[in-house]
Amino acid sequence: MAAYSTELPIRADLDEAHTEVAARWATTGSWWSGVERLAIVEEVRRARDSAELAPWEAPSQIEGLVSSDHVLPEAAVDAIWRITSHPGTLTAEWHASILGSGIHPEAYVELVAVVAQANAVDRFADALNLDRVELPTPSASEPPKISETPLQVTSHWVPTAKIKGPNVLKALSAVPFENESLSLLSSAQYVRFGDLLSDLVSDQNSLSRMQVEVIAARTSKLNECFY
Amino acid sequence: MSQDTQVSFEAVGDSESGDGGVEHGALLSRLCEAIFEEDGDQLASVKDDVIEVAGAEVLIDAVAVSANFYMMTRIADSTGTPLDAGTVEPSAEIRELVGVNTFTSRREAQV
Repeated sequence: MAAYSTELPIRADLDEAHTEVAARWATTGSWWSGVERLAIVEEVRRARDSAELAPWEAPSQIEGLVSSDHVLPEAAVDAIWRITSHPGTLTAEWHASILGSGIHPEAYVELVAVVAQANAVDRFADALNLDRVELPTPSASEPPKISETPLQVTSHWVPTAKIKGPNVLKALSAVPFENESLSLLSSAQYVRFGDLLSDLVSDQNSLSRMQVEVIAARTSKLNECFY
Repeated sequence: MSQDTQVSFEAVGDSESGDGGVEHGALLSRLCEAIFEEDGDQLASVKDDVIEVAGAEVLIDAVAVSANFYMMTRIADSTGTPLDAGTVEPSAEIRELVGVNTFTSRREAQV
């Protein structure tokens, strides 16, 4: 089933990538169930659609914003809203406070991945006035909640595996399934992963590589991202 | 596009500084700003301009690239991702030019 119903000439591979990523959101993760992962996406949507909170305002502290029977811990909801609305304000102290509220370090990495993907997919749909991708039925199984690979906290705030490549690709290495989702989306929306550093001149679909990098850099600056 | 094309970082700083040697650079930068601001009228106007000047395929691919960096920025900033060691020196001038050194998200490379 297509992700989007529109007369706009959306490339098939892009539509398919969004459909596949939505299916992956509904899959049981390493640390969160399918129900919880879809709840993460729904919280991204609530944060995007609500009146923006200031960076220091946590939704869990505002009466009526987070129901007491929410499937996600309050700290997770607070993190989702902050990452969605104010990514450029995040600090090591803030990250430590989220972990101090009981979120496992690797569960945090998986949460970041799903939040980030949902921001990309929904921002695409919203900018083109498309209906957002429909969320599938979640998997029923429970997450194993065990580390899949040896990890250490070294260069990042989060634990990472020993893998080669740019630091941003190492960021999600604690949860390999999410690095696959990142690759899937980035290959369809940005640059084919194999070409990222090896081919800096070929066109990417209808854009020149220079145009792609101007858009990437301008968007990163608007989001106040130093990296 | 050949590798010796001359480009500058004007279109990265803001959309009013010119194309920076990149075809439709200022217009694409304006599109990024409109997506970020989420002002419906402004966004509709820029999208019309992109379609008129470059075509609907370019609009869709440009929106997709911009949207992708709502993912990459959130991954980098939520995980404390530092600059890559090998990029610190080569990017110093660029970082100064585009004005990112004062960002809260600044994290130096771990050498």
